[in-house]
Amino acid sequence: MPTLVQVEGLRKEFGNVRALDGVSFNVEEGEWIAIMGPSGSGKTTLINILGGLDTPTGGQAMVDGTDVARLNEAGLTRYRAEKIGFIFQQFHLVPYLTALENVMLAQYFHSTTDEKEALQALARVGLADRVTHLPAQLSGGEQQRVAVARALINHPKLVLADEPTGNLDEANQETVINLLRELHKEGHTILMVTHDPALGCMADRRIELAHGRLVHQAATVAQRR
Amino acid sequence: MFARLLWKLLHASRGRLVVAMVALVSGAAVISALLNLQLDIERKLTQEFRTLGANLVISRAQTVQALSQAAESPALIDEREVLSQVERNRTHEVVAAAPFLYIVARVKAKPLIVAGTWLDEAIKLAPTWKIAGGQVASRGDLTSCLAGRNVAQQLSLTPGSKLELNYLGRTARMTVAGIVDAGAAEDNQLLVNLPVTQALAGLNGQIGMVQLSVNGTPKTIEAFAKKLAAALPVLEVRPIRQVAEAEGALLGRIRLLILSMVLLILVLTGLCVLATMAALAMERREDVGLMKALGGSISRIVGLFLAEVGVLGAVGGLVGCLAGVALSHWMGQRVFGAAISPRWEIFPLTIALMVAAALAGALPLRRLGNVKPAVIFRGE
Repeated sequence: MPTLVQVEGLRKEFGNVRALDGVSFNVEEGEWIAIMGPSGSGKTTLINILGGLDTPTGGQAMVDGTDVARLNEAGLTRYRAEKIGFIFQQFHLVPYLTALENVMLAQYFHSTTDEKEALQALARVGLADRVTHLPAQLSGGEQQRVAVARALINHPKLVLADEPTGNLDEANQETVINLLRELHKEGHTILMVTHDPALGCMADRRIELAHGRLVHQAATVAQRR
Repeated sequence: MFARLLWKLLHASRGRLVVAMVALVSGAAVISALLNLQLDIERKLTQEFRTLGANLVISRAQTVQALSQAAESPALIDEREVLSQVERNRTHEVVAAAPFLYIVARVKAKPLIVAGTWLDEAIKLAPTWKIAGGQVASRGDLTSCLAGRNVAQQLSLTPGSKLELNYLGRTARMTVAGIVDAGAAEDNQLLVNLPVTQALAGLNGQIGMVQLSVNGTPKTIEAFAKKLAAALPVLEVRPIRQVAEAEGALLGRIRLLILSMVLLILVLTGLCVLATMAALAMERREDVGLMKALGGSISRIVGLFLAEVGVLGAVGGLVGCLAGVALSHWMGQRVFGAAISPRWEIFPLTIALMVAAALAGALPLRRLGNVKPAVIFRGE
């Protein structure tokens, strides 16, 4: 499999605090990576840099041949629209837009909107009958499924999920985990931050961070099987 | 999707936007009323000024030579020549034009200024005259006259009184039709139809001057005077300076006042929108962070918000204009005692001003350009 993500000596400092301290690793296309570690270890910072939401202080972060560290504001905007699909712990849906409109919003910023395709994306995550509902009218699990549909609508090269099940009850966790499994089977490359060891075990590989450093990476049981 | 997002943004923030909308509607209402007033005020004021009497005089040129000749004989002009030119150049702006020939006749051995004119037209020159008794409706009536208030008092004249005018051995018997209270020089004169003074003075076909009342701004009057002067090169056509200057000065002051008020209202409206938008910008930081994370360029996101403000400005401007028409109608009634007709050309101008004020008030939205999604997601 070709390499999709190539991280080399990545550093990020917030004033005197070193959030990432020379992190290096590769991710192949179609891989599902779980990034784990205690709070403050730099997991979200790493995801934010790879997603073009933040810029590194040093090092290199190549995603699909693009060095994220070298992109300007406009370049980062296009990069996020075209290559990245985000799934956040807090869902981050626009509260005054319906489920359908939240998905179409990502299409709008990417290129043009296609309502039919957005409806299909919502049907795929089991929300065909909830498309006109506002986020406040949806359960946490349903909101996260809208976020998954939104993340995938522009066929991103890389799906970045930050604690995707962190705010869900057990039943909804299961639904979202199944969705991630399906995405992986379809060949999506997923980088997922999680505290949950059970969820981490479902990934192909686990990368562990501590104090901004990569302290361990290994294939999971799922991958060895 | 743009229109859909725009509608959702307007709907989602309607509570806060109502404040900005009220400011825009109020601002537009007052501005459109003032602009309406400004456009109509020249017409109204010139109408008001016309009640002050003639504002244009045609007479023999007042050169040094003419003045020395005038000492010996009055500087007379040919009635037919001048009046034919006045008629030829007459426009709808000319309210009245009347020839005058003044003589100092004697009544019961007392000297009295007698103004020969067209009495039917002279009344139009000075619509503020109060006439007790009857008027002289026809310029062909050579036996009726109007007596000035002071003349009537001195000679104990009342409507129906008879009197005899003597001048250079000629006499004319007149009946007083009415007593004129002009509040001006006419109070000391006897007003007769022109042929009477011409016959008394033996100056048939001769007049001393023509007085005109012309509607319009000082510039219009000046332009009309120039046109007449070109047609009557040997005569002097001059606007009566005091009236024209008073009119010009008043119009200028009113224009300045209205424009200052429009500017002030625009600034206040802009400030009100600014306060609303500053609060809205804070509320929308999270939305903007998310939109940026989804790949929304700042120009597209801020463009969306500016379009929202533009719609507010346009709708506020339009509603305000309609309210402004009613307001100007009311103001016209109160100030001039007549309704001010709505001027539709102020609609696009007011709407454009409101959109501009709203966009200027939307400056805080520019701060949204600095929103960093990562910072927002960290909850900072």
